[in-house]
Amino acid sequence: MSEDHCITCGDVAVEAEVVTVSGATATATVRHGDTHEEIAVDLVAGVRAGDRLLCHAGVALEKLEPR
Amino acid sequence: MKYVDEYRSAEDAERLAERIAGLVEPGRHYKLMEVCGGHTHTIYKHGIEDLLPPEVELVHGPGCPVCVIPMGRQDDAIAIAERPDVIFTTFGDMMRVPATHGSLLDAKALGADVRMVYSPLDALRIARENPDRQVVFFAIGFETTTPSTAITLLRARAAGIINFSVFANHVTIVPAIKAILDSPDLRLDGFIGPGHVSTVIGVRPYRWIAQDHGKPVVVSGFEPLDILQGVYMILRQLREGRSEVENQYTRVVREEGNLAALKAIGETMQLRSTFEWRGLGFISQSALKLRPEFAEWDAEVRYEVPGVRVADPKACQCGEVLKGVIKPWQCKVFGTACTPDRPIGTCMVSSEGACAAYYNFGRLTRRRGREPAPA
Repeated sequence: MSEDHCITCGDVAVEAEVVTVSGATATATVRHGDTHEEIAVDLVAGVRAGDRLLCHAGVALEKLEPR
Repeated sequence: MKYVDEYRSAEDAERLAERIAGLVEPGRHYKLMEVCGGHTHTIYKHGIEDLLPPEVELVHGPGCPVCVIPMGRQDDAIAIAERPDVIFTTFGDMMRVPATHGSLLDAKALGADVRMVYSPLDALRIARENPDRQVVFFAIGFETTTPSTAITLLRARAAGIINFSVFANHVTIVPAIKAILDSPDLRLDGFIGPGHVSTVIGVRPYRWIAQDHGKPVVVSGFEPLDILQGVYMILRQLREGRSEVENQYTRVVREEGNLAALKAIGETMQLRSTFEWRGLGFISQSALKLRPEFAEWDAEVRYEVPGVRVADPKACQCGEVLKGVIKPWQCKVFGTACTPDRPIGTCMVSSEGACAAYYNFGRLTRRRGREPAPA
């Protein structure tokens, strides 16, 4: 999910849309363009399908405001 | 591209540039530092400097985590990776960083089991799948990346996975900004604050810059219009005689940051008394190590590492680039002996490194006629 930026980056994360959530494992499958990835959602409360998350290094850092 | 085009409108960018030009005071030159390598990348990729009036100079800061790791730590990483029982996992760019005797990629070619991962959680999965091997994760990055290491450590402990450890090199941005402000080399007028670091730490940790040093800070996003608006907001503060911390990136960054992320970091890591940064030297309380409670997952406890301070190659001027004292193209080896394919210094390795950004987006020739002399 990082075609525009360095994946090692200290400061750039990417926005992705939640497709499914697994509460049992605190993970979500997110979509960014054509890419799907499983990420940890331990740090963001109340994640639901359709939410947009700021993701970095396999972890959601923030839920973005609805557009 | 959905959700992106609205922040890349050429018409809006030109309008903003006109408004920025309207704030320039006659005879004044403005030096603004973009702290974050992600901003540097956007600035060159989208030609932002070409939109700005010549009086406004953007200076590139130390916010590229690959760039600031000193060579000695890279040597330590390779020493761990070369152990026959170890699977060494790392973000991709760190594989190419030159150390004293080659890179992690060279070590891999010679037989070390070095694997690229996108997340420390991938490294933990590899540990789960290889219970007879020791899996080490080379943890680098600023506060944006630190939460992922923290979550991984918490999950490793919860799952009782003990064949996993972290070689911690996480750094913190605020002490680096302080080191730059204390440096006599550079006079800055304001800072474009790091957007995603601030998602984690919030905007309060920058207040001392505005209050004690009188420099505006505007936390900004990473799209072209974000950066232009950040520049506009800084110049507006300067024009009005203010120095405050403002948040341009309100669609993402909250005042208080992400408290859950800060809690996870605090639970797993603590400040080091000092840490060496490439180009900036030793900066007190500028990096994190694992807490004693996580010693079982601490690669520095588990393995003996050389821990030797290694000087940068003499030809390399990454240090001056990282401090914003010189532009990438003013380095003696830029684009000749040092290229993204054969980097000498770290700033040419990462796509967020100022040298690689200049090189990749063709600023080499276009900027020469316009750059002011170095400070």
